[in-house]
Amino acid sequence: MSSTAVPGPVGRPRGRRLSSVFRRQGVQAFLFISPAILLLAVLIVYPMVRTSIYSFANLNSRLEVTRWIGFDNYTRLFTKDKSFLNLDEFPPSGALVNNVKWMILYTSLSLLLGLLIAVLAARVRYESLMKAIVFVPMAIAATAVAIIWKFVYEPDPNLGSLNAFTTMLGADPIAWYGRADTVNYALIFAYVWASTGFAMVVLSAALKGISEEVIEAARTDGANEWDIFRRIQLPLLSLPIAVVTVWLLVNVIKVFDLIYVMTGGGPGGASEVIAVTMVDEFGNGEGGYSAAIAVVMLLLIIPIMVFNIRRFRSERVTG
Amino acid sequence: MKRRWFIPAAVLAAFALALGGCGGDDEEGGTEAGDGSITVFSLWGGSEQEAFQKVLDKFTTDTGIETKYESARDFLPVIRTRLAAGNPPDVAIIPRPGVVAELARDDALIPLEDMGLDPDAINENYSDLWTGLATVDDTLYGVVAKANSKSTIWYKPNSFQQAGFEIPATWEDLLTITAQYEANGKTPWAVGAQGRDNSWTLTDWFENIYARKAGSDNYTKLFNGDLPFNDQTVKDSLLEMVKIVNDRFVAGGIDTALGISFVDGIGRVFSKKPVAEMYMEGGFVGGIALGDVNPDLKPGEDIDFFPWPTIDEAQGNPLVGGGDVASAFVNNEDNKKLIEFLATPEAGRIWVSTGAIASPNKGVTDDAYPNELVAKEAEQVKNAESFLFDGSDLLPGTLGQDFGTLLQQIVKTPKNMDSLLDDYQSEAENAFAAR
Repeated sequence: MSSTAVPGPVGRPRGRRLSSVFRRQGVQAFLFISPAILLLAVLIVYPMVRTSIYSFANLNSRLEVTRWIGFDNYTRLFTKDKSFLNLDEFPPSGALVNNVKWMILYTSLSLLLGLLIAVLAARVRYESLMKAIVFVPMAIAATAVAIIWKFVYEPDPNLGSLNAFTTMLGADPIAWYGRADTVNYALIFAYVWASTGFAMVVLSAALKGISEEVIEAARTDGANEWDIFRRIQLPLLSLPIAVVTVWLLVNVIKVFDLIYVMTGGGPGGASEVIAVTMVDEFGNGEGGYSAAIAVVMLLLIIPIMVFNIRRFRSERVTG
Repeated sequence: MKRRWFIPAAVLAAFALALGGCGGDDEEGGTEAGDGSITVFSLWGGSEQEAFQKVLDKFTTDTGIETKYESARDFLPVIRTRLAAGNPPDVAIIPRPGVVAELARDDALIPLEDMGLDPDAINENYSDLWTGLATVDDTLYGVVAKANSKSTIWYKPNSFQQAGFEIPATWEDLLTITAQYEANGKTPWAVGAQGRDNSWTLTDWFENIYARKAGSDNYTKLFNGDLPFNDQTVKDSLLEMVKIVNDRFVAGGIDTALGISFVDGIGRVFSKKPVAEMYMEGGFVGGIALGDVNPDLKPGEDIDFFPWPTIDEAQGNPLVGGGDVASAFVNNEDNKKLIEFLATPEAGRIWVSTGAIASPNKGVTDDAYPNELVAKEAEQVKNAESFLFDGSDLLPGTLGQDFGTLLQQIVKTPKNMDSLLDDYQSEAENAFAAR
């Protein structure tokens, strides 16, 4: 964290550089960072540790441990709980599988749409209006997004705008979130709608940061617009793209509010995701079990975080 | 290398904090004086909340004790979070007796006797049937605030008259009416069973059929874990259920049924633009239909209910119903007064006068009910030959909710019934064993 901020002789391993900082400024440095460490310990490390401990126990309504059961919660989660992971059928189903679906579809769609809009909007005169419109959903709470899209998907064509449209074209109304085969896609699309603005704003800002001269030079050299995008803009955008991807991934692993409000994991558990399962199990009095689910969620997020931190470090050091 | 000890140190600090935080939770001795204000927590919103607010208002007028009503549809996660944080509401209206029992065994609820209330005096106005819901291990933990019949089928008398239908006395009659409606070009039923929050409408369908086809004894056994869920009796009842709850007879088919809420389902039948003719749910449908969905409905003409028809003569016609228990989480004089008040016929009369509920309180007479619909429900509740409590609400842990999810899967693909029930049974064995 602080290592890169301190100028040190180039070429020396970072670990040593940090320790030399402490040797020189030991107590002082510790005093400076101790409030931050205390906050992190109280607000992040402590709940994390406590949740991990709980995941090996049965808890009562007051979250007091009634029995230590080792890895039973985890075994149950991965082998017995078919709403969490069901490998009996193909394709596999369950909350974990749904989260993977979300990670792939939501992340790539939000990113691609955001990139597309950022690049295209830069080429029109009403760019700011265009971007403002795409960004508005970002300012809406996810619960409100859920209500809005509930009305869009509503099965009754008199209420649901999407079904009003499809019936106008002569098709039968579709109960988008009442069907196991459509519910996840309907939800993912609603969330993409709410997140594209974020991807667009970050990528658009990064795009503006690319020097006009570089692009002009490329044009003079005979590059067409696609080449400029493919060989100049895209490589220069790789860091912001990585940042946005990480943010989207983390956001989607913990996706909760939209689903909780729109379908509550239904129908028949078809749209369950990890976080919804966790809250439901907690409500059902399964404190230890839901702690185990929380730990699984945390373990999923850690590799992404590690990647992110590594990435930042390498960018700082080389750039 | 000094960096290395930072993380362990932080973890150690966290542990120290954890240990420090584990104290607290002092046991209160005796009933303390209140602070003149009570928070009451329940899951009701809309017309149900307004009705209950009238009862609270009367309490405040009488005693000068302020009440603050808090509501959360996701009642269970909220109540557990607040309990764990040592910040429970003063009084809560708990919708599931299974939860009452669990909270009582975890010492989260205050027994009425500990508050200085006389259980016998409180129970005087209630039959054993109802006090049983608030009693855990022979200790009374609250009062049954309201009762609901769930053995009611809502229909449109005008529409029945037009088609020349009689109130069905048997399941066969009901199936005939259903088919006849369809032949007349109408959609006979609406069902609203979307997601986690509305799947209980399907469990109510099942419970009513099971109680009448397999009988009260099997019903009690099934929901107490003494009969497996993959038993043939369960399958037989489910096969009856999907004779109605299927794509052919339900508005918009099963996909729509699983895509709309319980209240939207009522709207499909009783709104100003109805698309179906009948709706199966408890007595509270009347209050919601008249209060929230369409105030122009005329009871007895546009909306009425008939009791569930008999399926197997030998099993009689037991009533399936539910009740909510008012319990205190904090032992003080104010809360004691509220619990005492909620058990009085006076509170019951105010509450039922809103048309939202029926009261199990014997002191609440028929004339207190504002319309024939609720009066009829109260009559049904009081005169039931036998009463069965909503089974899914009695199931422990996650089973209750998962039962709704199971039924969603079964009505969608009835042919998977066997394997779905096998899976659910193995889950049930674990849950009952853990109890």
